[in-house]
Amino acid sequence: MKILLQIGIIFGVCFVGEGLAMLLPLPGSIISMILLFLLLLFRLLKPDHIAEKSDFLLKNMAFFFIPAGVAIMESAGILFENLIPFLVICVATMVITFAVTAFTVRLTVSLQNRIANRKGGKHHE
Amino acid sequence: MNEWISSPLFGITLSILAYAAGVWIQKKLRSPIANPLLIAIVLVIAFLKLTGISLETYDKGGDFISMFLAPATACLALSIYRQLPVLKKNLIPVIVGTTVGSAASMGSVWLLCKAFGLTDEMTVSLLPKSVTTPIAMGVAEQHGGIVPITVAAVVLTGILGAIFAPLLIRIFRVKNPIAAGLAIGTCSHAVGTSKAIELGEVEGAMSGIAIGTAGLVTVLIATLI
Repeated sequence: MKILLQIGIIFGVCFVGEGLAMLLPLPGSIISMILLFLLLLFRLLKPDHIAEKSDFLLKNMAFFFIPAGVAIMESAGILFENLIPFLVICVATMVITFAVTAFTVRLTVSLQNRIANRKGGKHHE
Repeated sequence: MNEWISSPLFGITLSILAYAAGVWIQKKLRSPIANPLLIAIVLVIAFLKLTGISLETYDKGGDFISMFLAPATACLALSIYRQLPVLKKNLIPVIVGTTVGSAASMGSVWLLCKAFGLTDEMTVSLLPKSVTTPIAMGVAEQHGGIVPITVAAVVLTGILGAIFAPLLIRIFRVKNPIAAGLAIGTCSHAVGTSKAIELGEVEGAMSGIAIGTAGLVTVLIATLI
């Protein structure tokens, strides 16, 4: 019954999310994620209320993508026609995204430290 | 025979067996190239091709499995919530880093697609390639992309990220574990995060947070454009 209730809560939130997706320009699954996060943040839901079912879904997340991946059978033609650009884009943008994110975080952290030091310095005066 | 195969139970059972085989192979090889999802997809396609069973027949069960995608995505909320203390402590680097990183990802994909002269349909399919599969699928579907191409790009990017993360950390001399974790999560979502967890606790937590924030930023950018 506990698990059944957890399934009910998660599916219920997703059902509301799908409804809101008809009004908002966001995918239903993302709206459901935001809804669930807000429910947790404002303590309307406790992690215990959904933990077992959520962990089942999160730990086996990759499994649920199999049918979406198998559907590549139908798009194999388009993929093979664009295979070289596809591979180049996947590799190049992965490296670019990694580098840009790492440098941005490093810059932000050092700026934050500098501001904190200045404030800290004034505090000591 | 046909009636028997077209039961949804066929597609579900085949998928679970293929995934179990994928997990088993990964345990044996201990290599990020042996990604269970990738192995399962290849096995299912090979089985369907060999037996001549149609994708439509498989999808009777496949649709059942896909139905769980939205709840699975929603549950990412719980994993972000569990990282809340780390998230609060590093809120500004997380937001700035994943926003600029996701914009760089989408910008570079767009530029390269134009440079290669790819169709708009193909470009939209590749744009969300750095974020976690359910979010990427949602974005591609909503903007008229080819969802299976998106899934292929996302899985490939994740595997590349998991393989090359340690090398990239050395090349770009990333000494701060917060920067390393956020970079891995932003460029290669959950598959890369599995590698980040091996690198350290801070790297793992940061990478996990980046899956959610980079995903949200990508959805927002895609909606605005």
